[in-house]
Amino acid sequence: MANIAAQRIKREFKEVIKSEEVAKCAIKVELVNDSYTELKGEIAGPPDTPYEGGTFILEIKVPETYPFNPPKVRFMTKIWHPNISSVTGAICLDILKDQWAAAMTLRTVLLSLQALLSAAEPDDPQDAVVAKQYRENLEMFQITARHWTNVYAGGPHVNSDCDDKIRRLVDMGIEEHQARAALSSYNWDLERATEQLFS
Amino acid sequence: MGFELNRFQGEVDEELVCPICSGVLEDPLQAPVCEHAFCKSCITEWISRQPTCPVDRQSVTSPQLRQVPRILRNLLSRLSINCDNAQYGCTRVLKLDSLSAHLEECEYNPKRPLPCEQGCGLIIPKDEFKDHNCVKELRALIHTQQQKMNEFQQEINEQRFLIAEQRREMQLLKDFMRAMRISNPSMRAIADAMERDEVLRWSNSLQRARVTRWGGMISTPDEILQRMIKRTLTEMGCPPHILDDLMENCHERRWPPGLCSLETRQNNRRQYENYVCKRVPGKQAVLVLYCDNAHMSEDMMVEPGLVMIFAHGIE
Ligand SMILES: [Zn+2]
Ligand SMILES: [Zn+2]
Ligand SMILES: [Zn+2]
Ligand SMILES: [Zn+2]
Repeated sequence: MANIAAQRIKREFKEVIKSEEVAKCAIKVELVNDSYTELKGEIAGPPDTPYEGGTFILEIKVPETYPFNPPKVRFMTKIWHPNISSVTGAICLDILKDQWAAAMTLRTVLLSLQALLSAAEPDDPQDAVVAKQYRENLEMFQITARHWTNVYAGGPHVNSDCDDKIRRLVDMGIEEHQARAALSSYNWDLERATEQLFS
Repeated sequence: MGFELNRFQGEVDEELVCPICSGVLEDPLQAPVCEHAFCKSCITEWISRQPTCPVDRQSVTSPQLRQVPRILRNLLSRLSINCDNAQYGCTRVLKLDSLSAHLEECEYNPKRPLPCEQGCGLIIPKDEFKDHNCVKELRALIHTQQQKMNEFQQEINEQRFLIAEQRREMQLLKDFMRAMRISNPSMRAIADAMERDEVLRWSNSLQRARVTRWGGMISTPDEILQRMIKRTLTEMGCPPHILDDLMENCHERRWPPGLCSLETRQNNRRQYENYVCKRVPGKQAVLVLYCDNAHMSEDMMVEPGLVMIFAHGIE
């Protein structure tokens, strides 16, 4: 790893650990290996959003050319959000692409991702299915996002209606996550989800 | 890239830290409007990717970067930093502005160039001494020198070929001019001038000779002696258009009135010392060229010059 990248990450790592957001348990970062090329980030779901109460794990890969190029960040925790792929966890956020600036840090990245959870940008989607739902049926989107937060990120809101429908599909031999993804995509319409899964 | 923060004594102000490398500013430059400061190498690298300020994304180009204020430079130069070679045992702590001078002479620098004292005398970085083998190094040196010599040799051969080509071409041109001068009087003048220049150049390339015993002069050299001298003149680069005339003039029958008989030679003995003579290497002979002896009286010289052969007495 280039000297400059290692020097930066060491310092940023300390910056995050000392930050007040850590004190409030809002963001966190851990080392994955000794060479500072890979880190594990964590952000708390912001209050008054479907993500509230959830903890989202991020994979952070630091390129050799950091900080001249942005870190590569991806959600490890499955999440239902227009700007984050529900399949791969890939993120569509300008500062992780062409709007990156060398003075930005891991802390600014984590805080920006937290802000993205508070304010989605459905016009610049990463996941077209989620974005469509967000635009056309905001209530259904919130139910789905909250349910995913509950199941994958440890959020507190159990939705027994969703759980029942998933159970029905699992009983038919469908894998649980596959069932949840199908139901989520069809606004929890059991019939259409079944049709899609068995077609 | 800036200096690592943990190399400094005491706290370093945030203002002195580069936002790109997060080290203490090295050769700092600042953006024109927002005045954000960065290490020169850091900001240059960033601007080569994107012409913006890395902090606030305002547009900035390389020529717009300027010196940071003197106060900032003073603050930087007063910081105390440990030596780059601290990990190799150097305990010096220096002001930032005298660090580079110290590094030049720091004894702990593992890369400090030192001469090998085991025999080869090559200058090598200190940390390479443990794996150093004089014979091996010298062999490598010989190898590269040999390669260089081969390259030079090849170049010489190419140049020689080129020169031979050019000589041939020049000969053709001369022949051409000779043919032209017969039909064209102005061409004759040019050709004559060129031939005179050629003789002059040749004469200037020859060494002076001194005749110590004029009495040893051979006025009627035999055929064998003449052929020998002629070959030597050719090897000396004698311009071909005067070679035959010169050789003719090695016998008293073609000498000027002042030299052509034993009697006249006796009368003019005192003038011999005034001749400007040129050496004919390896032979007891001198060249007395007309162009070198314009000062001699008419009856002591002939064109294009004389060849005087001696039994002995040339220096
Ligand atoms: Zn700026
Ligand atoms: Zn820097
Ligand atoms: Zn030192
Ligand atoms: Zn040696």
